[in-house]
Amino acid sequence: MRNHILRRLLQLIPILLVITFLSFAMMRLAGSDAVLQKMENTGMVVSQEVVDAARAELGLDRPFLVQYGVWLARLLRGDMGTSYISGQEVLPAFLSRLPATLLLAAVSILLTILFSIPLGILAAVRQNRFTDYLIRLASFVGNSLPNFFVALLLLYLFAIRLGWFPVLSREVTLQNVMLPASTLAIAMSAKYTRQVRAAVLEELGKDYVAGAKARGVPFRVTLVKSVLRSCLATILTLLTLSVGSLLGGTAVVESIFLWDGVGKLAVDAIQMRDYPIIQAYVMWMAIIYVCVNLVTDLSYRALDPRIRLGGGQR
Amino acid sequence: MRDGVSRRRQRGRRNHIRCRLLVFLLLAALLLLAVIFAEELCPYDPNAQIFQPLQPPGGGHIAGTDRLGRDLFSRILVGLRTSVFSTLALVAVIAAAGTAVGVLSGYCGGLLDGWMMRVSDVCLAFPGLVFALAIAALLGGGIQNAVIALAVISWPKYARLARGQTMAIKSSDYVAAARLAGDTAPQIILRHILPNSTGPILITAVLDIGTMMMELAGLSFLGLGATPPTAELGSMMSDGRSMLQTYPWVVLGPGIAIFVAVAVFNLLGDTVRDCLDPRNSHRT
Amino acid sequence: MKTRQRKTDSVKRNWRPARLAAACLALLLLAGCSAGGEPSQGAAGTTFVLGDTTFNPENEELDVNPHNAYSGWACIRYGVGETLFRYSDGMEIEPWLATGYRLVDELTWEITVRGGVTFSSGRPLDAQAVKECLEHLVEVHGRARGDLMIDTIEAEGQTVTIRTTQPRATLLNYLSDPYGCIIDMEAGVTEEGIVAGTGPYVAVSLRTGEELVLTKNSQYWGGEPGFDTVKVLTITDGDTLTMALQSGEIDAAYGMPYASYPLFQNDGYVFSSCATSRAFFMTMNYGSAVMQDPAVRRAIAMGIDKERFVEELLGGHGYVAAGAYPDHFSFGGGAVTAKSYDPEGAKAVLEAAGWVDTDGDGVREKGGQALAIRYLTYPSRQELPLLAEAVQATLEDIGFAVTIYNTADVHTYRSDPGAWDLYASAMVTAPTGDPEYFFTTHCLAGSPANNGGYANARLEQLAAELSGTFDPERRGELAVEMQQLLLDDDAFVFCSHLQMSLIAQADVAGLVAHPCDFYEITADLRPAA
Repeated sequence: MRNHILRRLLQLIPILLVITFLSFAMMRLAGSDAVLQKMENTGMVVSQEVVDAARAELGLDRPFLVQYGVWLARLLRGDMGTSYISGQEVLPAFLSRLPATLLLAAVSILLTILFSIPLGILAAVRQNRFTDYLIRLASFVGNSLPNFFVALLLLYLFAIRLGWFPVLSREVTLQNVMLPASTLAIAMSAKYTRQVRAAVLEELGKDYVAGAKARGVPFRVTLVKSVLRSCLATILTLLTLSVGSLLGGTAVVESIFLWDGVGKLAVDAIQMRDYPIIQAYVMWMAIIYVCVNLVTDLSYRALDPRIRLGGGQR
Repeated sequence: MRDGVSRRRQRGRRNHIRCRLLVFLLLAALLLLAVIFAEELCPYDPNAQIFQPLQPPGGGHIAGTDRLGRDLFSRILVGLRTSVFSTLALVAVIAAAGTAVGVLSGYCGGLLDGWMMRVSDVCLAFPGLVFALAIAALLGGGIQNAVIALAVISWPKYARLARGQTMAIKSSDYVAAARLAGDTAPQIILRHILPNSTGPILITAVLDIGTMMMELAGLSFLGLGATPPTAELGSMMSDGRSMLQTYPWVVLGPGIAIFVAVAVFNLLGDTVRDCLDPRNSHRT
Repeated sequence: MKTRQRKTDSVKRNWRPARLAAACLALLLLAGCSAGGEPSQGAAGTTFVLGDTTFNPENEELDVNPHNAYSGWACIRYGVGETLFRYSDGMEIEPWLATGYRLVDELTWEITVRGGVTFSSGRPLDAQAVKECLEHLVEVHGRARGDLMIDTIEAEGQTVTIRTTQPRATLLNYLSDPYGCIIDMEAGVTEEGIVAGTGPYVAVSLRTGEELVLTKNSQYWGGEPGFDTVKVLTITDGDTLTMALQSGEIDAAYGMPYASYPLFQNDGYVFSSCATSRAFFMTMNYGSAVMQDPAVRRAIAMGIDKERFVEELLGGHGYVAAGAYPDHFSFGGGAVTAKSYDPEGAKAVLEAAGWVDTDGDGVREKGGQALAIRYLTYPSRQELPLLAEAVQATLEDIGFAVTIYNTADVHTYRSDPGAWDLYASAMVTAPTGDPEYFFTTHCLAGSPANNGGYANARLEQLAAELSGTFDPERRGELAVEMQQLLLDDDAFVFCSHLQMSLIAQADVAGLVAHPCDFYEITADLRPAA
């Protein structure tokens, strides 16, 4: 088992190489650079000499492969460079945003689970009845609304109409995370409720449920002990995918709630062609996904003994 | 094992499903028809900027007018077509491609699985926006390129899902039995694995319709979206974003249209899943 | 049917846990909500909070150090620094930290520095302090070095003598650029980027891209500042800015989306608006075959409905442009004549030039070539895509086929003359109040932003004369003549000038928008009586 984990973590290295090179190459393909982007934002034209000098200072005048090489060589010495835009060191700038992102991701996942599992089960046991249709309808609504819409609606309702929350809340606290987390949780719950409903329905149709009932096992016990347990695998796969994208940040929600996470940092960096920050972000995402997949695989094995046998054959 | 009551119940349920399938198929057909003949159904030219801008719904305009003085209802109808077609194409492609990769990967295991999953790691981890920028620069703007950009980065979700399903089904007793009975790998995949894993994939796919509509709109600021003056629901919503308090109909109209599309396709998807459910057919 | 009924009954009976869970959830949410507190209160005394969309690294405003990129804008806007000269409401130069100047010869300027002014560091302002500051500026700031062309600076008492390397008629204008804020170089720049200036407020803490806290400069030479504390919050999202002003968490806002204006057009708020020199204009591409036809350029110039753009699309929050500069410049506004919207006239121009719709598809052709143009623009200015769609509609009525490229990657397209025909952008035309900047950056053979490859010998000649002319009146005349050349050639179409608005709660007085866009927080700002 330990070897397996170690091997998976070692696979990170080639992935990181591929992914950082790809992002470097693609940003190059995308044209423009930090110097031009800044010029456009200020709306002022500067002479070619000033532009050239600014480029030379950032090393943007060098050939693409040299730029990547320099970046890689620095990285191996533990130096992730400084941002082209803010001049801050990349690593501290990046790390300072992580707590906000982690808290937001954790709370939204928690809220999503709290919403979607009970509602999903409720919808399943009341299949095709009023409650079911109501829950499904709500999930369609949640599914059709863009993030910004839900965010602004919550802000309007809870900050302006009711005054329970301030509009501006930069500090990373449990109170301030509630609105942005609810925004994300509403959209995710809309999906998960349906997934849970489907998974539970599938299990309920199986013979063992009828068998358990015949043996006089209370329905509640069957539901919790067997049905829920069997549909955990599906839910887990989806959840891990969401965790990955949540840890990558959610730029729209972050910028509406002034939540200083990595998502907005990354989107701003991409728009401004701030290569050092983009590279840090890309590496972070790669690490997340490799770890998340590892955890998923391990938990599949733990949850479902059949896979453990199947895995043993490899 | 089954008594008469239960059999009757099964039959009743099947009839009920068929009935629902018919209703939702009709609804979907109606939606598609409306979308196909959008231009004929439009009360006004959707691109004509000839009205007083930002009129509220009512009067001559069911859904009001937008900032450029165009009839919103006409634009919503035409926008629904752009959105529905591009989203359906996108979701179909990623669901099919992702499932194929996932099933193969989960069934074969070993080196193939390892490689496929690493490739999907790279795709999942890669920031979509960087990729979209590159696509926009290489292929130019337009909604078809937005579909390409999103397809390349979105398939792994389905691959992961299908792989998980496949791994679980592969180790089940009935697959072992089928294997003992001499079924070949393609037969097992086609007869057992695919039918049994359709449920979650289909649900994810129909649920993705709403999300993908918005994702497509999210790329429009890179020039990767419907080229003006073509209407597109997602962009209509995000363009109207700051008017939510002052001129809400500009955002709500397209929002309701997206909701209707999402609801129809989801309800249809559910019913189709119920029909495809192997347990329903096994019990006939 | 019967069994089913029984099943759901049993479910109903056994479904307590779910209800319990739902109740817990509701409680949890409520707990999170009721913990919600009041917006943080400032220190004792009066506090003014400004929400600003532009104070961030993306606009090169990292801190308040005027010698760092465009941070001078923040320095001057938020009342930290002041320049030797400033712009009047008519964008003419008037003394500020200087009391006067004398042009000794074409290269030598003698400037008298105001007495009785002290930096927030406590050091008195004298010629030596100005010399140290400007010398440091041209040493570290490339743009300033190129603008000012300073050769030597001498200081004696309150008199600074600046020699330039070549005649520099606009030296005082450039000294009034935000980078020209006079700061105490002995006090230096803190790690946060805070400097000691002479303005009504003193920066005390700063977090790049987040917030700036200032306190009153009680020694301010221009009178007692009106607030004890000023906070500037960077809020890049327009909707968040709107709601923050609605909830009263900010006292004033800069950069409010137009769509939110109706929410504040009532007694609870005061607006202060004016035209800036940021112009929305179109550049015609002389490198494209179809645009080389003067009739096509003329038809485009006549086919753009500027009034409708400003009145309907911007809801009146803009100013129709004729030339490059807005109305309050002596050489701006109606000083030039531009073509007005005349679709019938445009059609006639095209007919006469042989562009006729022969196949009846609504698009004109000539010699087998369709009258199709590619309209390039970018989305980061919210008004530009709107302008694109409006122009597309009116030009298509005239018989053009217009394809819009609205892309963030506008640079790549722009530098390729084969990739576009018409380019709409929003650029500042007179950042220093002087007309020369626009021509040298956009219209001459060697201009860095002459995207359309426009060339006019007469214009080059006038530009040479302009750079050697010191008399402001003559400079204005030249600017008018030069703009008229651009318009007569239909090389540029100026659509509108940006309206800059400051919206404040009604209990704030003295927040006034200035056409140069960089005087915001002054000693006049105070609680309304």
